Amino acid sequence: MKDNSKIAKTRRVDYVEKRKEGWRPEDLNMFKFLHGVLNRVNVCYVATYPPTECGIATFTRDLVGAIGKYTPFSDPMVLAVGGEADIQQYPKIVKVQVPKSDLQSYLDAADFVNRSGANVLSLQHEYGIFGGPDGEYVLNFLERLKIPFVATLHTVLFAPSPNQKRIVQRIAEMSMAMVVMVKKGKEMLMEHYGIPAEKIVVIPHGVPNVHRVPAASVKRDLGIIDRTVISTFGLINRGKGIEQAIKAMPAIVEKHPKALYLVLGETHPGVRNYEGESYRTELLQLVSDLGMEKHVRFNNRYLTLEELINYLCATDVYVTPYLNKDQIVSGTLAYAVGCGKAVISTPYLYAEEVLADGRGILVDFKSPEGIANSVDQILSNPAMREQMETKAYAYGRRAAWFNVGIDYLDLFHRISDSLKTNSSKSAQKENEKQANGGTNV
Amino acid sequence: MAVENDLLIQFRKSGEISVLGLSGDVDVYTCSILRDAIIHSIDQGDQRMVINMANVNYIDSSGLGTLVGGLRRVKQNDGHLAISSATPRIRKVLKITGLNKVFTIFEDEDSAVRSLDT
Repeated sequence: MKDNSKIAKTRRVDYVEKRKEGWRPEDLNMFKFLHGVLNRVNVCYVATYPPTECGIATFTRDLVGAIGKYTPFSDPMVLAVGGEADIQQYPKIVKVQVPKSDLQSYLDAADFVNRSGANVLSLQHEYGIFGGPDGEYVLNFLERLKIPFVATLHTVLFAPSPNQKRIVQRIAEMSMAMVVMVKKGKEMLMEHYGIPAEKIVVIPHGVPNVHRVPAASVKRDLGIIDRTVISTFGLINRGKGIEQAIKAMPAIVEKHPKALYLVLGETHPGVRNYEGESYRTELLQLVSDLGMEKHVRFNNRYLTLEELINYLCATDVYVTPYLNKDQIVSGTLAYAVGCGKAVISTPYLYAEEVLADGRGILVDFKSPEGIANSVDQILSNPAMREQMETKAYAYGRRAAWFNVGIDYLDLFHRISDSLKTNSSKSAQKENEKQANGGTNV
Repeated sequence: MAVENDLLIQFRKSGEISVLGLSGDVDVYTCSILRDAIIHSIDQGDQRMVINMANVNYIDSSGLGTLVGGLRRVKQNDGHLAISSATPRIRKVLKITGLNKVFTIFEDEDSAVRSLDT
């Protein structure tokens, strides 16, 4: 474990310093007042974290930011689970780095959290980010933890192995609440894992706060003003099924000659470690074989949020041709819906729920024909497209990070309040017992 | 660019009390509209102000910051600012952040106006 802070201190406000900075007395008075009355909760987040490139790291950064904006006087911190020997250049909020496969580091990290002053811990769970078989070292960490925690599940398997099931059930036993991002996830936890409903909370995957803008204005800035843009973004790996969308392009181009399919994002670093760029190379070969060089473009790098939003705003049709039916969350699909895009997707679990009620179109797995037909349907029918975009945007608006942050904060406060109530009830019982001459066994 | 969640503000007077009726989202993109409206009201000599949030769907931290800034400006002018008619969602945001202890909040506009009028 690498401890970046040694001692977690409660934030103190230096009013003298603020006066030196030129704060006006009335501003300082308001600041003091707010400092006294605004709610606080010191959250410790356990997850991967940027600069690590993965969806959970991005999610955690966004969650930390969303909650932090509502709790300016709190002291959040992150315990980052990462690679083995490499020391990442994490931002200051990361107080501890835990090498994924070093069991002792998990125990030391739990001890650190216990004395850190954190009120509640937010665990981001996905089997692969923790060490041990199926990431079971996370249990060693949690069993040593003395503060309440909430687990957000980024994967819920339909058919888990016995060990995978045991891990999730044990996390459920120890946690104050389990968060999933769609209702289907809750049903699965209840039916396949036996977790009680009252322990499960559904909070949608957060999306950036984007106001809808006409695609044409953004296309101009990106130099693709005359193109009909279809896109897919994210860290590239074989599970994305991008070849299915590429195979759909000849039929799409036949009807929409200006069509351009943008594949945005670099190869997933974890994938690059074991197969290099072989998947992307195969995709490039496929593009060449189909003669689609002028209609498929790759942007092989990790995009900033601003770049990503720009590309999404410029998109006419967003596609997630993913291959895994069990996928219970997709940050990229959430973002596209949040931007109010017309979306076509294969029917994995998350897409089925998010795109229901006319918010998008579902097509069969591995069906380039289905993708081509649906793209044509959307592009040829502006009224249908507008309706779909409006429905998607309204759904995504509820999931804007500033709303999701409030949902998490509400959950953390409720947990904190219930613990206070329980502890004051216990103290009251203890007092009554002592008043009645009882003994503490 | 015109978007459906732009913020619209309707100014009206209820006796001596000025009422700002908000419609839309108060967020990072629109909070400057609210800030300008509050400053405009103060410049007009309005010292007692009700912000009716019945038609506000969502508010983010920038929107909350703008409300706090508005309260500070009004108080600087020895005035009062109250919030009325907030939806359950907005009330929840105010409660969770602790801002319900900062603002005077009324169920409806009439109650807010009556209170500031006394």
